[in-house]
Amino acid sequence: MNPPPPATAPAAGPAGRRGPRSLQGRLLAGLLGAVLVVWGATAAVTWQDARHELDELLDGHLAQAAALLVAQQARAGEHDGPALDAPQLHRYAPRVAFQVWHAGRLALRSDNAPATPMVDAAALAGMPLQPRLDRRGDRDGRDSHHRRGTAADDDDRAHDTTRDRRGHADDRAGASAGAAVDGFRLGFHSVVLDGTAWRVFAAQGAEQDLRVFVGEQQRSRTDILLAVLRSTLWPLALGLPLLGAVVWWVVRQGTAPLRRLAQQLARRAPSDLSPLPTDGLPAEMAAPATALNGLFARIAGMVAAERRFTADAAHELRTPIAAIRTQAQVALAASDDDERRHALRATLAGCDRATRLVEQLLTLSRLEAGDAPPRAPVDLAALARRVLGELAPAALARRQQLGLDAPEGGCRVDGNETLLAVLLRNLVDNALRYSPDGAEVRVALAAPPGGGLRLTVDDAGPGLSDADRQRLGERFFRVLGTAQPGSGLGWSIVRRIAAAHGATVAVDRSAALGGLAVEVAWPAPR
Amino acid sequence: MRILLAEDDPLLGDGLRAGLRQAGFQVDWVRDGAAAERELRAQPYAAAVLDLGLPLMDGMDVLAAVRRAGVTLPVLVLTARDAVPDRIRGLDAGADDYVVKPIDLDELAARLRALVRRAHGQPQETLQAQGVRLDPAGRSVTRDGQPVALSAREFDLLHALLLNAGRVLSREQLEQHLYAWGREVESNAVEVHVHHLRKKLGAELIQTVRGVGYLLPRDGPAP
Repeated sequence: MNPPPPATAPAAGPAGRRGPRSLQGRLLAGLLGAVLVVWGATAAVTWQDARHELDELLDGHLAQAAALLVAQQARAGEHDGPALDAPQLHRYAPRVAFQVWHAGRLALRSDNAPATPMVDAAALAGMPLQPRLDRRGDRDGRDSHHRRGTAADDDDRAHDTTRDRRGHADDRAGASAGAAVDGFRLGFHSVVLDGTAWRVFAAQGAEQDLRVFVGEQQRSRTDILLAVLRSTLWPLALGLPLLGAVVWWVVRQGTAPLRRLAQQLARRAPSDLSPLPTDGLPAEMAAPATALNGLFARIAGMVAAERRFTADAAHELRTPIAAIRTQAQVALAASDDDERRHALRATLAGCDRATRLVEQLLTLSRLEAGDAPPRAPVDLAALARRVLGELAPAALARRQQLGLDAPEGGCRVDGNETLLAVLLRNLVDNALRYSPDGAEVRVALAAPPGGGLRLTVDDAGPGLSDADRQRLGERFFRVLGTAQPGSGLGWSIVRRIAAAHGATVAVDRSAALGGLAVEVAWPAPR
Repeated sequence: MRILLAEDDPLLGDGLRAGLRQAGFQVDWVRDGAAAERELRAQPYAAAVLDLGLPLMDGMDVLAAVRRAGVTLPVLVLTARDAVPDRIRGLDAGADDYVVKPIDLDELAARLRALVRRAHGQPQETLQAQGVRLDPAGRSVTRDGQPVALSAREFDLLHALLLNAGRVLSREQLEQHLYAWGREVESNAVEVHVHHLRKKLGAELIQTVRGVGYLLPRDGPAP
């Protein structure tokens, strides 16, 4: 993974500005945040560890240096001269200081050491004599110091590094090490001299008045720690932006198909419902793309049906309108009254037909829109009586006999009364239309023993061939060779309404009257 | 001019027949495709108005069948199918004109006249020969610029002869041009009409080919 080429950086602008809701932004923030936390924890642990080791090491050195001085002083014997200033030998030396006190007098000190005891001057007087370091106990003493230093250090870690606490801690540490304590404490001290924090080791020679202090500025420890931490954190600080860039680039590459898909969809014309190409899409993207294609296919089907309907409807409407126009024109140009009257009557008939067609189209279009109509229990027998009553005058005018057989007590179905009336009217109207003058049309309602309901309409019309029966109900399918004007929409409407009510429509030859028999059957309620 | 109207819709067919009669056509009306094909093969119509959505036989099939049978009369397809592919299909199947419902009756008549004129190789709206000029649209005739009053039958007879100028038309052919179905044809009607035409337009205009029929000579080669 290479750092992103500079050329891609400006391109990041628009994508990056999309705000925290962008997937890329969230991934970037999340990953970089996690990396920061991990690195921060690592640095903290490193700091703790390094400080601990450093303290142990340097405390050991302090103790050893003190032991060395004690041993030297013991060998040198009495020394009552003025305090000697030891030379500075190393650039680090100013950070290290020591004092040797003999019987309350400063016998030896480093150049940078103060003239007063480095640890609590008041505690110097009347100090107890233990523990003592002598040549024989040298090793034991050192070990003891080491232990004590460690104990103090542990304590230091657990508590604040205030002087009081440290003193108290050292008390306990001293007691546990068997050191006699009386105001003056042997071992490690953290003190402030002239505003500078020191770490001081206090030791006592074999002779009780010999005291050695070896101190080291705390700052030097902090400096070392900081240096260690710096060397650890520098690569991290440099690496973080690099990592961010790499993550950004990888995420951008990964989400490229998503953006391509979005562009494809944005560019799409509303009429373009072709499927999206799914080849080469990552697995995560293939699923939404496939789902989209499914949606496109469904919409395309719907649009095609809509278009077909519109085309068919336009086609069907043109003929009655053409008839109206033609007849009106004939009436205008007619030279005699009979011709004019005939043409005007035909014009009116054409208007009635167009109206009926429009109503049918609207009904069908509402049915096809698929809105579930409100339902309630409907008494089909009462409804049939009403519809037949409406159609009877026209039937009587053609001397047709219209009859209804319905069982006592009504025939209730769950449905929409308006739609069921449309269904009944279409069926009966159709039967009357295609029956010759003077013929009979029978409507019957029956409740079969098994439950459910059956509506049959028998007529004495010409009936239908098997092939025509098959096609009945196709929108605008019209049986050829009939003199009756019709759009074929009535059957579509009947079938739609029946389907919406869970009823089935069957068409057969009428055994009773020889024409067509239509049966609408409602299943028994479950 | 006698034309065949094939239209299954009762109201529209009735209206078209009445309207085209008003425009001076003799109209035979059939209501299904099979009858349309039969009549187009059997009768010498000047033109046909053909609906496409016909019972028994689709208008397009009728067209293809009569064209295969060598019937060349101009056919005007009158339909509710307005999609461009439908138009192309209709014209390719042999229709001379393709008109979408609804249509103005005057326009329909004008289109039919134009189709008939073109079918007879007449680029002009009016027909003329030997100083006699016939305007099919205005149903008027002039001789040397002077209007001549003709009866409807006389006009139709002259129209048929002018359309077929230079060709001999038999008495039967002329009768078929003159009368739609169900009209009584008197046995000597054609002779009577020819006699009247000669009286009104000059004896030289229509020549008799004895035992064959009548002929209106074509003018000299067109300038």
